[in-house]
Amino acid sequence: MTKSKFSFFVLILLLTSPTFSFAQSDDVRNIHFDTITTGYVEPTPIGVDEMKYVGNEYIDKTDSSLMRYVTRIVQRDIDFYADFDLVPIDSFFIKTYEILELDLRGWKRLGADYVLKLEAEFPGRRNMRVYWKLYYTFNYRRIDKGRFEVHRDEWRYMAHRISNEIVRTLTGEKGIFLTKVAYVKKIGKAKEIAIADYDGANERLLTKNGSINLSPTFSPNGKEIFFTSYLETDPKLFKVNIASGRLTKLTDFPGLAAAPSVSPNGKRLACVLSKDGNSEIYVLDMKGRIKRRLTNNRSIDTAPSWSPNGKYITFTSDRSGRPQVYMMDSDGHRQRRLTYEGKYNDSPSWSTRGDRVIFVSRSKRGRFDIASIDTSGIDYHIMTEVGMNENPHFSPDGKHLVFTSTRLGKPDIFTMDVTGRHQRRLTRTGNCTNPVWGPID
Amino acid sequence: MKRFNVLMTLALLFAFMMLAACPPPTPEIEPEATSIDTTTAIPEDTVTEEEPEAPPEIIKESQFATVYFDFDKSNLRSDSKSGLDANYDLLMQFPDVMVKIEGHCDERGTVEYNLSLGEKRATSCKDYLVGLGIDASRISTISYGKEKPVDAGHNEAAWDKNRRCEFKIVSQ
Repeated sequence: MTKSKFSFFVLILLLTSPTFSFAQSDDVRNIHFDTITTGYVEPTPIGVDEMKYVGNEYIDKTDSSLMRYVTRIVQRDIDFYADFDLVPIDSFFIKTYEILELDLRGWKRLGADYVLKLEAEFPGRRNMRVYWKLYYTFNYRRIDKGRFEVHRDEWRYMAHRISNEIVRTLTGEKGIFLTKVAYVKKIGKAKEIAIADYDGANERLLTKNGSINLSPTFSPNGKEIFFTSYLETDPKLFKVNIASGRLTKLTDFPGLAAAPSVSPNGKRLACVLSKDGNSEIYVLDMKGRIKRRLTNNRSIDTAPSWSPNGKYITFTSDRSGRPQVYMMDSDGHRQRRLTYEGKYNDSPSWSTRGDRVIFVSRSKRGRFDIASIDTSGIDYHIMTEVGMNENPHFSPDGKHLVFTSTRLGKPDIFTMDVTGRHQRRLTRTGNCTNPVWGPID
Repeated sequence: MKRFNVLMTLALLFAFMMLAACPPPTPEIEPEATSIDTTTAIPEDTVTEEEPEAPPEIIKESQFATVYFDFDKSNLRSDSKSGLDANYDLLMQFPDVMVKIEGHCDERGTVEYNLSLGEKRATSCKDYLVGLGIDASRISTISYGKEKPVDAGHNEAAWDKNRRCEFKIVSQ
């Protein structure tokens, strides 16, 4: 009772303090957004111990640095994940207590609820085998363990596999640490389609045609990327097979063909065609043949995006005079406006659960913020504090976002969790835009 | 404890009222594009002094005026129309010339929206010229959205220059 009396007092203090109502801030909105839409709970603090060698043979410097690399990647994964916080090793604490090696008690004192311990061997020198063990510091019990063995060149892959296991053990969900992100990279005057690991590593170019390639989007199975290309002068839709790099042209209509979005069942392609003089949204089959025209007016209709259940399409239209976010049934019926706040709302895409649409909102002082709205069009929230953001897309687990930001001057790809925390810069070259997050597997 | 709960509820109600009472965000004022001085009129002599019987000279792309637009707009300003009128004269004077109108946008807004906006700008120019009597088959359009700015700056001056339609010669 005394404790609740105290917290009541704190609450009153908070409510009556002059700064509280003055701020009216995005903070308040964010908290609201978190609790209402994502069932926000405090991230679980997890400690990741330095990997130890448990084999019998002599190991050299390469081996020990490999072990360090794997540990770092696992730590970065844990640190990134929305539901986790990586517990930093407090060197002052360690020196003060003359701790040579952090045991579970030490980790507990640093605040870790769980501790991941990693042990390595190098069977036959070629391979790397890692044993992982996850402990609960409440009762010091081991709650899960596992083992991975890969060729030592695939250490990064193995680190992400371990992180995925931690997510599976603690949340019961599939981890996103082996997913890919595709985006547009400007090289000279050309814009090429690039693909990288979710953390920005292993970047490679899927197109090297020296032309302008735009608006990449994954097929639902993650094996192909659809995009717009100026390869044959006029902008047309193409697809590229990620594994083989094989390029296929899909459309050959006069005018513009842009903004592709593949339906969740992989059988239809929504896109924009201007073959009759104005940008309208069409649904094509996977060979690029028109199946249905969804919009018909003199305004711009663009940026279609399928809902996860395939029933709806959200899109941008300036039929009201300014670009605003709309949604419609996937047959084009019941076209309705979702956004009324902000003069300029564009680039909509769906939350993974399909209950919200995220988009770019030109809200205050001409900034482009990432905002979200529910499908009834009532619950509008701004998610970023730093302006100049574009093209937000959800991660397949629905807990993270990828987007473009020019907050540091030049455009780069950023990721964050849906509460706006765990922000990370994926690319550092200042020439990357238009990101999309690929599916799990 | 029950009384405490009542107090708590009241406090929360109070909190929501405070939130609800907060003033709505002030409507944003659109920075309107200042009208710019487009020195687009082509030298008079190339248009008017040509003898009709003389074999047409080779026309240069740079003789065509570039047409400029307001932010998020595809309708033609009066200065845009005078530029297009000059281009009309050129097209009349060189009847074999086929042109492609390239629509461009400034960097604000998304790639996809700007692609459509650039297309609309190019179509506006084409429709105007066709309305004046140019054969539609002589004019094609393409949009580059915001992909090919002439000025890489991030300010009004750069944006004014980038919201444009350029005339490219396809054949003559």
